[in-house]
Amino acid sequence: MNSAEADALKSLVKQQAKTTKTITSAFTQYKHMDFLSNDIVTKGTLHFKAPNLVKWSYVEPFAYSVVFKNETLFINDEGKKSHIDMRSSKLFKQLNSLIIKSIKGDMFNAEEFIIEYYKSGENGLVYFKPKDKKSASFIASFQLTFNKQGDVEIVKMIEPSGDYTKIVFSNKELNNPVSDALFTN
Amino acid sequence: MRYLLISCCFLMVSCGSYSKKHQLTEREISNKFITNPYFSDTSQDFVYKANIQVYDNNFGGLLIIKKIEDGNHRVVFTTEMGAKLFDFSITETNFKVNYILDDLNKKLLINLLKTDFKALVQERNLVSRRYIKDSFDIYKTTILGKSHFYYVSDQLDQIIRTGHRKEKVHFLFTDINNNIANHIIIKHHNINLQIALKSIQ
Repeated sequence: MNSAEADALKSLVKQQAKTTKTITSAFTQYKHMDFLSNDIVTKGTLHFKAPNLVKWSYVEPFAYSVVFKNETLFINDEGKKSHIDMRSSKLFKQLNSLIIKSIKGDMFNAEEFIIEYYKSGENGLVYFKPKDKKSASFIASFQLTFNKQGDVEIVKMIEPSGDYTKIVFSNKELNNPVSDALFTN
Repeated sequence: MRYLLISCCFLMVSCGSYSKKHQLTEREISNKFITNPYFSDTSQDFVYKANIQVYDNNFGGLLIIKKIEDGNHRVVFTTEMGAKLFDFSITETNFKVNYILDDLNKKLLINLLKTDFKALVQERNLVSRRYIKDSFDIYKTTILGKSHFYYVSDQLDQIIRTGHRKEKVHFLFTDINNNIANHIIIKHHNINLQIALKSIQ
């Protein structure tokens, strides 16, 4: 991608992120580890409501949901409920902010990441490599695939070992009404 | 040397006590090895939804086990969202931490996981004693210096780790199909810890 194309993609995504108030989407998650014969596939639904409510509901092959809300992580693990206070963990805080940014695609912060732009067919593919050493020890790079509208279609998180988690979104709906009540667990 | 002899005698007495306490009847050893068949297929990925209860805390994740080759297993634990928490390679003679999250990098915890997972996945175990009780054939073996009793009916039903004449850890294998244990419970008796595993593949 040349720098004019990169700038155009960046401003399209930023504009899209600004106007996105809610997201409802199905997702399929592929956990790839080199030593496995097959990726581990899990499926569910994502709900996002601006500025910072996120719920991941896994439905297949197990029921598990996690809500990120007011610096607390609420977990419902097949009916067993628990929560984690993210204020005590810089890691969780960072994770939460990265999740929100990556859902919206708005990760273009040159202070945090080394950013590289590529083309993938008609889509844009952007690598975000964390500069902070601690973050880089978990994730070597986030690779986000954007469609022509500037929406995130695929989030791939690559570990330093080369193993990765790939989340593919489908049936994504933007700015449909999403009730606050959904973000309880 | 004298202390070594005394401690060996003590060990033999204390191990003998478990079998006596539980009224196991000793029999001649028929097989040199007792086999744990549940993680023996290299073509299979063993993926379990894990639920861990430590005292009042409850947390989950995915436990992934793969036999890489004979005597070599990979054991990885991730969150449901895919973040790796630890990644071990367990061979017959070696234990390697490929990765562990900083917050979990504690010697005590790693040792506990090492002894549990080695007993869980180790396929061939040298039999030192054989007993019977009820419908079970019971084989005694030693893993990482600790006595383990393998209870076998039509299949391997449980492994019990003992120490100081007491049962320390139970490994229960249930809902078994084609050599895959769909439910596994690892229950510690000296600490309040239970790991429940449910196959998701």
